[in-house]
Amino acid sequence: MSRQWLKVHLVWLAFLAAGIILSSVPLFVPEGYRLRLLALVFMWVALSGCWNLMSGYTGYIDFGPVAYFGVGSYSTAILMLKGGVPFLPSIFLSGLICAVLSLAIGLPTLRLQGAYFAIATFAVAEALKQGILEGDRLIGLEFFGGAHGLTLPPPPSEAYFYYLMLFFMGLVVGLTALLEKSKFGYGLRAIREAEQAAELSGVPTLKIKIKAYVLSSSLIGCLGGVEAYWLTYIIPDDVFNVLRTIQMVIMTLLGGMGTVLGPVIGASFLTLVSEYLGAKFVYDYLIFVGAVIIVVILLLPRGIMGTLWQGQRWNR
Amino acid sequence: MTKGFGALTAVRNLSFSLQEGEILGLIGPNGSGKTTLFNVIAGVFRPDSGEVLYRGQSIVHCSPHEICQMGIAKTSQTIQPFSNMRVFENVLVAALYGKNLTMGKAREETARILKFMGLEGLGGEPAGKIPLPLRRRLELSRALATGARVLLLDEVMAGLNPTEIQESLEILKKVRNQGKTLIMVEHVMRAVMGISEQVIVLNHGEKIAEGKPAEVAGNPEVIQAYLGKRYA
Amino acid sequence: MLLFLQALINGLLLGGIYASCSAGFSLAFGVMGVVNLSHGDFVMLGAFLTYWLFVLFGLNPFLALLPTLGFLFFLGFFIQRLAINRLVGAPPIMSYLLTFGLHLVLSNLALRIWTADYRALKTSYTGLTLNLGGLVFPYSRLATFALAMIMILGLYVLLYRMETGRAIRAVAQDREMARLMGVNILRIYALTFALAAGITGLAGGLISHTYVIYPQMGLQFTITAFCVVVLGGMGYIPGTLWGGIILGVLESLTTTYLTAGLSMALTFFLLLMMLILRPRGIFGKGVVEEI
Repeated sequence: MSRQWLKVHLVWLAFLAAGIILSSVPLFVPEGYRLRLLALVFMWVALSGCWNLMSGYTGYIDFGPVAYFGVGSYSTAILMLKGGVPFLPSIFLSGLICAVLSLAIGLPTLRLQGAYFAIATFAVAEALKQGILEGDRLIGLEFFGGAHGLTLPPPPSEAYFYYLMLFFMGLVVGLTALLEKSKFGYGLRAIREAEQAAELSGVPTLKIKIKAYVLSSSLIGCLGGVEAYWLTYIIPDDVFNVLRTIQMVIMTLLGGMGTVLGPVIGASFLTLVSEYLGAKFVYDYLIFVGAVIIVVILLLPRGIMGTLWQGQRWNR
Repeated sequence: MTKGFGALTAVRNLSFSLQEGEILGLIGPNGSGKTTLFNVIAGVFRPDSGEVLYRGQSIVHCSPHEICQMGIAKTSQTIQPFSNMRVFENVLVAALYGKNLTMGKAREETARILKFMGLEGLGGEPAGKIPLPLRRRLELSRALATGARVLLLDEVMAGLNPTEIQESLEILKKVRNQGKTLIMVEHVMRAVMGISEQVIVLNHGEKIAEGKPAEVAGNPEVIQAYLGKRYA
Repeated sequence: MLLFLQALINGLLLGGIYASCSAGFSLAFGVMGVVNLSHGDFVMLGAFLTYWLFVLFGLNPFLALLPTLGFLFFLGFFIQRLAINRLVGAPPIMSYLLTFGLHLVLSNLALRIWTADYRALKTSYTGLTLNLGGLVFPYSRLATFALAMIMILGLYVLLYRMETGRAIRAVAQDREMARLMGVNILRIYALTFALAAGITGLAGGLISHTYVIYPQMGLQFTITAFCVVVLGGMGYIPGTLWGGIILGVLESLTTTYLTAGLSMALTFFLLLMMLILRPRGIFGKGVVEEI
């Protein structure tokens, strides 16, 4: 019992220490490429962490998370440009918009099983992209900017985004850690293991799936909003790009679905790889990613963290 | 009530009632509709016609998790443990959601039930890796942890050897003595006939006999259903 | 009125092609429970193979269909043995992820090797059309439609009238029972996946006759296949034909009267509605995954 206690405290202490170290980095590292790269890593950890919250824990593979990234980006951009809303409240509102949207989409689709849910979410993401692309033409307004996208006002310093991304990463990872051992977390995992048995044990499966989906989607939306301001311009092909979904999936898969640290490891590793490979040969990176997926599924289906945890036992 | 799947009527015009604290045995040849009946009661299927009343209230429109929380729990013929979760966690889920306890109380309840079922040493094992008889006990533990008053036991004796069957029967008697009501679907005759107070026999989805075990065992229609006309 | 008829018949021709592209997908799922997300890439590979056989070796594009069928058949067999086989008992999410990885590898490898250039098969008869009272039909489209129908018919005959086909259907309906009756399950799986890959490649070859080909074309066919199969019923081959035709006509009509982009969105919307309201397909004979 006492070993367990120490272990739990150790985790939070390590978490705090990491937070302090990472927060002080901008004091030592000058602005520029390296700071930006770190912030990028944080963003991907957060994004894949969100995907992990939903798909990693419930086992419902979502192939459409990029839809909320895109909606979040556009919401933030439009709120700031047309509504004059300051940045941080825009992020918050974008998150809310995504929450509502994901509720509308989740209610019908989460009743479907595995493959259907996966394709349905993918279809929704693609349809949304098409919608935004054609949106202006249909409504007859100058709203979405069509294929040219939108441009935002110049942002504050690099360090600002560094801290913002660090915050989101901490939020997502911390939330995952908290939820994992909570009643909600057990419900999620029960759904992944044996959904019908869970339902028969009293778990309100639909309600829980929706909660996880809405939570995950709103946070993804917020991150979309942050990136919009960071890059200062957004185009549909970029913010609705299926490649983002692929990244989230593979990062979580590699690191270990349904684990707290899985997305951290997977995202850190793959972001760095993609920076190296992707800068020169985008296709090579994707081939690499595809090969990694295949290898992981065949040899290490639980990902790195999952495989590490598998041998563990404890007595109660 | 009646429940059919396409051209096949699994259960036809079946009616019965159950008293609190009773042990009811449900027997019949394979395909007679027993599991379908359980699934309807537990809310997995909705009957085509008819009613299911629990303590005077209709539950046909409730979802399985609601029915579980109301007090009816079902085990599955094909046991579905949460394989990658520990035995302790398996039962914990039921205590958390079925009985709606807080985390602390749920942990206590789980520990209590594991002890009651003789599984306390196994709490930390992954549920997918324990041997069959223990997995059946886990199934039962989960059902108990939901706090259910009525337990629908679907072939919990299948695949057990005589010693294990005896142990199971002991446990079931203890469970009933705690005030639970049991319906048992069984093929292991000795077990179900020995413990039940009432027995219902199904064949081709219809009730062909009802009564005390001894009465039913001698019923020619029942014998015919199991063994064919020659033995009736 | 003429426009409507043209759009309708174009849709019919398109639908036949869609059906032929989707049959393999339905087969793989119906028999093995595998959702092959790299399905469209087999179409792409078939299209490219037929193209290269014609361009590099001067092989008549219609004759090239046969080696295309053969090559994709063996490729499918190979992939099945190496990878898919191991997923047979595993939770379905494994097969989506694995085949998704496969999709990434295949499509980007193709992109790397062949570049993103659009290519088109041009023969002496490419531009020729049939003119019927104002309606225009390219001969190549008519020919490929006919061949697609023949292929589907052939598949039907194989599955419903021949011994091996019966074994395949038996495995699809009740694996344990089939095993007990002496069917070698692993062999059937290998055969089924290879067959699925082969006919999909063949369909791809047919596509190369009338459509532009490029390495990224696979994804849209995977989506299309999914739509067709949901419409017709997962695992139900005759339904695939109707699903294809319905989808083809719908797309053709929306492209004619609205925009191309919206036809995609409409397709997705239809798919979503089908999944929610009638997941077993219009005939109600589809296989729906157990929770």
